Amino acid sequence: MKRDRNYKILALKIAAPVIAMILAALISSLIILAIDKNPLQVFYTMFKFSFSRLDSIAIIFFNATPLIFSALAVSIGFKMGLFNIGIEGQYLIGTFLAALVGFSLKGLPAAIHLPLVIMAGIAGGMLWSFIPIFLKVKRGVHEVISTIMLNYVAYSLIHYLIADVFKDKQQSLVEGLGSVLVRTPKLAESALIPKMHGFLSIFGIQLPKHVYLNWFFPIGILLAVGIYYLVSYTPFGYELRAVGHNPEASKIAGIKPDIVYLKGFLLSGAVAGLVGLSDLLGYFKYMDMDFPQGYGFDGIAVALIAQNNPFGIIASAMLFGFLKRGSEGIQALLKVPMDTIVILQSLMIIFIVVITKIINDYVKRLEKKEAA
Amino acid sequence: MEEAVVLKNITKRFPGIVANDRVNLQIQKGEIHAIVGENGAGKSTLMKILAGLYQPDEGEIYIFGKKEKIASPNKAIELKIGMVHQHFMLIDRFTVLENIILGAEKKKGIAIDKKTCRQTIKKLLDLYNFNLDLDAKLEDISVGHAQRVEIIKVLYRGADILVLDEPTAVLAPQEVDELFVNLRRLKEEGKTIIFISHKLDEVLNIADNITVLRRGKAVGTVSADSVTKEELAKMMVGKPVLMKLDKAAAEKSDVKLSLHNIVMKGNGGKNSLNGVSLEVCGGEIYGIVGVEGNGQKELAEAVIGLRQDYQGDIKVCGKPIHGLSIKQIRDSGVAFIPEDRHRQGLVLPMKVWENSILGFHRKDKFKKGMFINIKKAEEFTLNNVKEFSIMISSIHQEIEGLSGGNQQKVILSRELSQEPEVILAAQPTRGLDIGAMEFVHRQLLQKRQEGKAILLISADLEEVLSLSDRIGVIFDGEIVAEFAPEEKTLEDIGVYMLGAHRKAGESA
Repeated sequence: MKRDRNYKILALKIAAPVIAMILAALISSLIILAIDKNPLQVFYTMFKFSFSRLDSIAIIFFNATPLIFSALAVSIGFKMGLFNIGIEGQYLIGTFLAALVGFSLKGLPAAIHLPLVIMAGIAGGMLWSFIPIFLKVKRGVHEVISTIMLNYVAYSLIHYLIADVFKDKQQSLVEGLGSVLVRTPKLAESALIPKMHGFLSIFGIQLPKHVYLNWFFPIGILLAVGIYYLVSYTPFGYELRAVGHNPEASKIAGIKPDIVYLKGFLLSGAVAGLVGLSDLLGYFKYMDMDFPQGYGFDGIAVALIAQNNPFGIIASAMLFGFLKRGSEGIQALLKVPMDTIVILQSLMIIFIVVITKIINDYVKRLEKKEAA
Repeated sequence: MEEAVVLKNITKRFPGIVANDRVNLQIQKGEIHAIVGENGAGKSTLMKILAGLYQPDEGEIYIFGKKEKIASPNKAIELKIGMVHQHFMLIDRFTVLENIILGAEKKKGIAIDKKTCRQTIKKLLDLYNFNLDLDAKLEDISVGHAQRVEIIKVLYRGADILVLDEPTAVLAPQEVDELFVNLRRLKEEGKTIIFISHKLDEVLNIADNITVLRRGKAVGTVSADSVTKEELAKMMVGKPVLMKLDKAAAEKSDVKLSLHNIVMKGNGGKNSLNGVSLEVCGGEIYGIVGVEGNGQKELAEAVIGLRQDYQGDIKVCGKPIHGLSIKQIRDSGVAFIPEDRHRQGLVLPMKVWENSILGFHRKDKFKKGMFINIKKAEEFTLNNVKEFSIMISSIHQEIEGLSGGNQQKVILSRELSQEPEVILAAQPTRGLDIGAMEFVHRQLLQKRQEGKAILLISADLEEVLSLSDRIGVIFDGEIVAEFAPEEKTLEDIGVYMLGAHRKAGESA
């Protein structure tokens, strides 16, 4: 009886994102119809392009990598009832510090240089998350406001640092054509993350050169597992959840919510510091004015769809990775604008929020009734 | 005589439980009909059916002789049924008048016609002899007056049948008397009143007829003149209950908790604690009574360390605790049973075993490397569950799903398992049924026997009188009287609680 109910709840929880996806696909179909394309063909092409080619699958993994870190960072905040909207700024600062360590230190062996670079990224994320949580704990400044504002500060600061302070002036132009890029110097070879090509070829999987899947992907998966255990099974994770659900009762039990907030937010910032590293160390190898932005906000969506479950985050980050790859496919093959998929994505997020709310209320009612 | 409400074979099932099992109920027009029963007996479910919040699975409802289906709260209002909730549904910043008309405003054009509203309400107040200042802000009036606002609110909507859910839970004895005067007046004017309670004295005092619910069944309706309190209690729980607690003499030892001249600032320049001094010895229960909001909450918060902004000394086993963290105070041997178990005692969405170790989750015995030793925590919880006979389906169930009594038992088992020297119990039986209440009382008495010092803060006078060795009355942040329970009558205490006499020369 009880067990049946548990299964029912689990089934409902899994059903929520599926229903949301179907509804989102239905409405997107209308939009696709409106631009005179066949929705079935669009979706078919998306799937075919994404899953019938090895490189596409690897690119999906690559696309998912920053989102896994970003969503994990968001979920840590959510677990303790705080909204870390500042992942965006935290990863830009983290990425920049990593780049700084990457191009300014030379002659180190990779075994030392790469960990240093990663640590710099973590430090940058922590630094940028320390400001809002310090303000919150000491002065009661709401973290949503301060993190959003700090995102803008981070954008501008990064632009200033890249364009004025650390701009690479030694760029040589090919035959005097084009213009120099506004970017940092290139990172030392020893600072870069290896691709997974060599490892995968052991298993007979040969990835083409234009795929940049690197070791940050498995690191992200491991981190998700680690965070799952941290949150579910350690005293600190226990405090994180207790404070998140009921700070007052936690306080009376002798937990100091402010300390938990501080530690938890720094952890969130540390994870956020890793978001940009797959792109920096595995793809661009320098940081420029156009370094990808928006992973922080996408991470919120990914965490939302996964309902903050670390394993769900891996899955929903893959989903986003697939949508991105698929949208490239339909743009190239069917001349359907990529924005269609952005609409699909947005609809999915809206539906997931609404449907999860409905289902959670329903589950609550089920439990209430049983208790009454 | 006409029947206002007749329920025939009302059955309401929830998954796994029958909340109401073929309940039959007849309520005459113009009577005060009490419905009593333990928590979980089905009182609330039955009333929610009457108020249109739940639909019965089987059975029929007749209102004033006509068969009705109460599909929604609006339908209930249409049928002239008004519900006065236990937790007031009022807005602090609105005036009494605005609160009463909210949602049922009379309009003139698009504006609210306050003049007509005021006249209508004035008429009601005169008719029923209610004393209310319509222009006072709700935040400035007493709880007793706020309750009157709730009653007028349903009368204003034309209710002829009033359902009052545990109306006396929040009132001081004098306010209860005033409420009863009001209710009798309503009855004289022909209103029908359904009064839900588990305070038997009050029920016997106010009701004409009493229906007892037990485990979803109506076990009988009796006339209030023909039944004693003991008989009612027996009907409620199905077995005779010890109303007088066996209180063995306990060995009184040294002072374990002492408060010396505690002063704490409150809102608006008034001190919420105004020089409180008291001592509790081992093997003693010191009861604090008072009308809510006279400093009880602040007193508890100072002792547990939740608030540090006070002057004066608090000592636990001789050691001063001012400035220590909550954890340090707890580690020095203070257990705390908070008054609001949902907000202060439990993390509702977390599991039973997780709640059982809340606050002790970093203790060595629950550690395994860097992880929580879940096996040990589960063993510990199962042991508590057995020892305190907590009714649960699994320790992995969220604590939200437990009944109030079982939730309180989880808190109690957690707090008492750490062998505290001082137990601070704030409203430990609030909202509990007789069975659970008795259990809590027995636990506290046992700890007293074991030589612990217990500071009991409770709004339930009877509870304080039957448990305590000494009683202090708190009024306006001061202990205005201190005495042994047998020295004073209930009426005397009520007078102290309302601040009529200050320090009339009482001594410990």
